[in-house]
Amino acid sequence: MAEHGVVTPSVKTAGATSATTTGKALSVVALRKTYGDVVAVDEASMEIAAGEFVTFLGASGSGKTTTLMMIAGFCEPDSGTITVGDRDVTRLAPQKRNLGFVFQQYLLFPHMTVQENVAFPLTLRGVPKNEIRKRVGETLEIAGLSGFGGRKPRELSGGQQQRVALCRALVYRPPVILMDEPLGALDKKLRDQLQVEIKTIQQELGLTVIYVTHDQEEALVLSDRIAVMRNGLIEQFDTPRELFERPKTPFVADFLGAANFLPGRIEQHTDEHTLVRLDGSGGLLKARRHDLASGTAVKAAVQPGRLRACAPDDGFCTGTVEVATYVGTLVRAGVRIDGGDAPLLRLEVPAGRGPVTGERVGISADPEDVNLFPTEQDG
Amino acid sequence: MAATLTATAPAPPRKLLASRRTRVGILYALPVVVYLLVLFVYPIFSTLFLSLKDTDGALTLHWYADALTGVNLSVLFTTLRISAETAVLSLVFGFVLANAISRLKPLWAGVAMLIVVVPHFISALVRTYGWIIMLGDKGLVNETMAWAPGAPFQLLYNELGVVIGTTSMMLPYTVLLLYGVMRGVDRRLLAAAASMGAGRVTIFRRIYLPLVAPGLASAGLLSFILSLGYYITPALMGGPNQTMIATLINQQVMKENQWNGAAAQGVILLLITFAGLLLVKLVTSLGASRRKRSAS
Repeated sequence: MAEHGVVTPSVKTAGATSATTTGKALSVVALRKTYGDVVAVDEASMEIAAGEFVTFLGASGSGKTTTLMMIAGFCEPDSGTITVGDRDVTRLAPQKRNLGFVFQQYLLFPHMTVQENVAFPLTLRGVPKNEIRKRVGETLEIAGLSGFGGRKPRELSGGQQQRVALCRALVYRPPVILMDEPLGALDKKLRDQLQVEIKTIQQELGLTVIYVTHDQEEALVLSDRIAVMRNGLIEQFDTPRELFERPKTPFVADFLGAANFLPGRIEQHTDEHTLVRLDGSGGLLKARRHDLASGTAVKAAVQPGRLRACAPDDGFCTGTVEVATYVGTLVRAGVRIDGGDAPLLRLEVPAGRGPVTGERVGISADPEDVNLFPTEQDG
Repeated sequence: MAATLTATAPAPPRKLLASRRTRVGILYALPVVVYLLVLFVYPIFSTLFLSLKDTDGALTLHWYADALTGVNLSVLFTTLRISAETAVLSLVFGFVLANAISRLKPLWAGVAMLIVVVPHFISALVRTYGWIIMLGDKGLVNETMAWAPGAPFQLLYNELGVVIGTTSMMLPYTVLLLYGVMRGVDRRLLAAAASMGAGRVTIFRRIYLPLVAPGLASAGLLSFILSLGYYITPALMGGPNQTMIATLINQQVMKENQWNGAAAQGVILLLITFAGLLLVKLVTSLGASRRKRSAS
């Protein structure tokens, strides 16, 4: 997952925008939904600020879509409350919630033109005709669809259709726009392009967006904050940078950072650092300070991009490079650590001074990049 | 020269293949062509000639003039009126039924469709007598409605009786047609409309109805056309004032041995059917072009 390392800089800017929030747009308290014995969403709680771009990220079955559907009103929660602005909408029908929704399948009305599709929510709100024409025109222009107004949805490409769907969801300026994998049906190139467009429009218009995806990269590119979900639980709800650098659970470290996990035991603490004696290799790994008792069995998580290759015996462990793959700007290496039968340690280092197969290398890491998880907190 | 040779070389076998395919195609089409010629084209044209032939063999429009005057004309109007009423009623009931069925789970929808369609396998005569028993003065309907003022109601041998009968005969067609169209409507579109704030009535009027409109047009037209030529039910469930054109044709052929007049009425019926088809085509294309104009 080299992309994540590359993506990090843009994450910084995305994280910074969350500071410019004004007031609460939506809050969810202890939302729960079960289907028979299966808990789809378990006590999900979160507050989303106005102007924020929040993504629910998780694999299928993680509860992300169910949560979105409950917010939209298409699915009734067993318990919990959903508040939009100051209004409790938990038991309201979808049409009374005044939210926007962008579906993965576009769901444009086939019997209406692009213009009529985008005008539809405005006509429902009794907006005068002149005003409708003006706002539809403006919105289509923002999405780069001027001149397409008279066409039928079937005459447009998938990307264009999804742009129309986006226009239709934002033309009436709902306080929150929900998007359910809106780019899931598009090819990679178009997806990348539309991600940028969605983000730009969201920032320009100050929209509050809740976005559902299973694609980590997409989540990182778009979001101010990401809720990583698994088995109906929100594992962590944080800025991309926090999720990436300070994962709270091994799952998050693995899911977003594809981290290496090194089992070990806490040896001692200094003021700023925690020292971990690694199982197998017996090396001493320095991590940033964690509040864990000495002797605790831990897993140390380090992302492949945050490990460095150094001279043998200079790092916290030494090993032999078994595979080294050149992938453009990076070399991905798999290192067999001396002692023990741990899985290959995955490394991503700049291509220029990349290790070669068979080379003996030491492995080092910045203590700031090492996250420790007690072993019983299993992921 | 060589270039043109190589360029044209692959062409002949393809041409040969094409012509062979054409010949085989003609062979396959032959039964259908013969079938249509014998059972469709010939009867229509012979009816047409019959309707234009005077008793002495000369060409005449006399039979058409006859069919479009006096009692015959009023029978024609009755036929059109009853057919229109039947079309509207079977559309309304068909819509309600098909709409309900399309919301059922597939298994139950299958059962419901069976219930709608199976009566159609029973002879129309038997079903018509069934209705006569049900709707008679001492029938099930009047017995259960005995408490109501004005009972027993006259439900037979009038236009009401005919329309009840024909509507029930047409219902399977409209339900089948509308069900197919409704199944094709993406329900998520309705959810999408709801997400934008549309209420049930608006969703129905502005999303659902336009999407099933083509089905409504064809179902309505079908039941109208089928009713035009319907014979048994109007003959048995109607009174003298509900004589429909099919009954008239039957009378002319069976009782008066008047084939030419019957043929003329048959041709008129055919022309009305074509006119109905044309009308629906016109209305739908007009609607489409108007929508296009309003959009641009």
